[in-house]
Amino acid sequence: MKKKNIIQNDLPVKLLRSLSVYGLALLIAFGLISIIIALLGFSVPDALKTLITTSFKSAFGFQETIKKTIPLIFTTYAFTIPFMIKFFNIGAWGQMLFGGTVVAAVGLLIGNFGLPSFIMIPLLVVVGILAGGLWGWFAGFLKAKYDINPIISTIMLNFVAVLLVNFIATSPIFKDPLEGHPITRPLSSSAILGFFHKIPYSIIFVILAIIFVYILLKKTKLGYEITSVGYNLHAAQTYGINFQRTIMLTFLLGGALAGLGGALEVMNIHGKLIEGFAKTSGAQYGVFGILTSLVVAGNPAGVPIAAFFMAVLLVGADALQRTMQIPVEMVFLSQALIVLLIVIIRKKFEPNGGK
Amino acid sequence: MKNKSLVELKNVRKVFGKVIALDNVTFTAEKGEIHGLLGENGAGKSTLMNILYGLYSPDKGEIYIDGKKVKINSPFDSIKLGIGMVHQISTLVPEFNAVENIILGTPEDKFKLPIKEEREKIKKIMKELGLIFSLDVKTKELPAGVKQKIEIIRALHKGAKLLILDEPTTSLVESEFRQLLKSLRALVKKGVTVIFITHKIKEIMEACDSVTVLRRGKVQDTINKEQMSKEKLVKLMFMEKDIKVTESALPKVELPPAKKSKKPVCVVKNIEVKGKEKSKGLKNISFEVYGGEILGVASVSGNGEKELASVMINPFLLSNGDILVNGESIKHLSTLSVFNKGVAYTPEDRIKEGILNEGSIKENVLLGHHTEKRFFKKNLFINWDEATKAAKKTIKDYNVATPSEELAIRRLSGGNIQKVIMGRAFVSPTDLLITHNPTSGLDVLTVEFIFNKLVETRNNGGAVLCINEDLDELMIISDRIAVLHNGELKGIFQRSEFDKYKIGLLMIGG
Repeated sequence: MKKKNIIQNDLPVKLLRSLSVYGLALLIAFGLISIIIALLGFSVPDALKTLITTSFKSAFGFQETIKKTIPLIFTTYAFTIPFMIKFFNIGAWGQMLFGGTVVAAVGLLIGNFGLPSFIMIPLLVVVGILAGGLWGWFAGFLKAKYDINPIISTIMLNFVAVLLVNFIATSPIFKDPLEGHPITRPLSSSAILGFFHKIPYSIIFVILAIIFVYILLKKTKLGYEITSVGYNLHAAQTYGINFQRTIMLTFLLGGALAGLGGALEVMNIHGKLIEGFAKTSGAQYGVFGILTSLVVAGNPAGVPIAAFFMAVLLVGADALQRTMQIPVEMVFLSQALIVLLIVIIRKKFEPNGGK
Repeated sequence: MKNKSLVELKNVRKVFGKVIALDNVTFTAEKGEIHGLLGENGAGKSTLMNILYGLYSPDKGEIYIDGKKVKINSPFDSIKLGIGMVHQISTLVPEFNAVENIILGTPEDKFKLPIKEEREKIKKIMKELGLIFSLDVKTKELPAGVKQKIEIIRALHKGAKLLILDEPTTSLVESEFRQLLKSLRALVKKGVTVIFITHKIKEIMEACDSVTVLRRGKVQDTINKEQMSKEKLVKLMFMEKDIKVTESALPKVELPPAKKSKKPVCVVKNIEVKGKEKSKGLKNISFEVYGGEILGVASVSGNGEKELASVMINPFLLSNGDILVNGESIKHLSTLSVFNKGVAYTPEDRIKEGILNEGSIKENVLLGHHTEKRFFKKNLFINWDEATKAAKKTIKDYNVATPSEELAIRRLSGGNIQKVIMGRAFVSPTDLLITHNPTSGLDVLTVEFIFNKLVETRNNGGAVLCINEDLDELMIISDRIAVLHNGELKGIFQRSEFDKYKIGLLMIGG
């Protein structure tokens, strides 16, 4: 009793361990990638250089990377926040699409009223947040009230959202008569976010979102309750935290962030709703959001950096295909390898699997 | 004598952390008998049998089977030696039927399941024991009594000649118990030995040929059927043979006279709670807790104490009756609002219900207080500065061994974790503390520390409801003791009337 056990503060140890986990995983992953590239008959140094440095070599590369980082941050949060209380939100894709679709529809419907940008843009951003939030919340509600597994409900809601994109993009009210593909008319210029030196203005909203998530999780009662439920559901419930409400809240938040991401894609990148939003970009960001979240073990603090890192790889992959004709599948393979290795090595190294 | 004994454990010792679970225990069971193992919760019954079954390894001591010394490192070893164990909680695969469950883990052919042949064997065992039930129904659809029979048959099917039953009657109704007894008698006739773990004296007297009574990790005595009487067994179970030993093992806590408040802090009025699954819930319970007193609740686990603890902070569980705190009904309040009324709680299972394992000490101290004015700004933000202050104060007041309040709580020892939980209860002014088994599994020094905190609260005019499975401890720190059995309040004793025999008898429904 008198002799106090000496327990060292664990922060530096933890940090060092995390760094070595990521370092080792990347080392092994790039080693394996190099072997595969060599077997395919390409030059390994050139390929690795292209994969890693494209984002930083040219202004274009960096802009592309930022463009991909932004939606990826939103979909990664969308997965990460429900994952904090051990639920899988596979629906970032659908929540992003639904947010973007509703924004496009509303934007086109009120486009003729002649509202100025400073009303139109905040209005549409809020619409996107609400729409995505609703799409996410619904899955949370189904879990809280009827105990329906969110994996199933979010996947189903993805399908609905994809069909909704097609419905809006082909409906006579919205469709661009000059286009052969399902594409809506362009949004009025007052609804469009522009670029600053080719960096999309939506980056402002990302920064706000990062600050928002940080404050919400670290400083507010809601964040404390989410964290507590994530740490130990039984104890949180014993001490009066409402689990049902927490489930709905996390899905609402995740969906709202994905919805905001979708709104910004439509308002900043496409300027209209295109079918490809559902098929390529939406799907890509939805899936990569999950992977990115797994890379940081569902820790919200790591999301922006991890999303940027994933975007670097995505841009590098495009470049590999363009300049060296290495099949783009190669890069999906390497991304999968990196994520897998990080997850495996973390399980091996950290006392409780990094969770 | 020597050749007849089937199993012999000699001088077994097992220590968990600082707690001695078994101290120099010697236990012998003869061939073809039902041997009872009697004791309170935490007396060491299950630990002893888990050692025999290979789930724990002893720190010291030897095991002999048929007179031969053996080493048992895992259940694989014990099954090979002919030991079978039926645990308290069903270990059957719910989606499998009886045959599939019984042949599980008997891999003779890697590719073929010998369902037909085995089915015949199983039927034969059933016939010998006089058991009748369907072999084709998924076990999840069967009542608890049948499931248990399947587990017994599974053990026999694997060739058990020694069958350990851990609290086999917990989930059985009376008629099922009769049937179980009949089957066990049939087994014994075939030469199988049965070890029957229980804390119910009535069952020992009905079922067993001899009984070994454990208390606080020590063997009190082993007696056979002719010597058994209810009085003798109660005494062995609850009272020490050698008084000196008890005194050194029990915490020393002074209980000075204290001023009892005029009005009760908490009034519990005719409450009823529906029990979950096996438990019978609470039936028409009424009592009062005054300021300046510790009301102990004595009960054998599973007799409603869990429901009582829960309903005090989660009044939605009430199906009837009312609970008043400081004269106001809390019937319609949420848990957080109950806390805000000056009620504090420390749960029974400190790891599962008490702490946010991955969270820091600071985050843990805040739990349940996070909507109180002091810690809650503008209805939105947590005041982390105040939380840090509260955590630092808890660490200081409760002597928590930690370098900082930011340390993950899971890195603390059990005693220190309990101190944090206890400290959390007093972060805000507390009129009524409900504490459930606050000292289970802790070493004597920590137990003393925690009890002194309870007594301090009482001396300062607080009301304490202490639900504790350890009667000795309750008798040390309680001003009054209420006895729960089968969900009913069997009586309340004043400190001057404390009598271990009487209270113990009521606890087991005698």
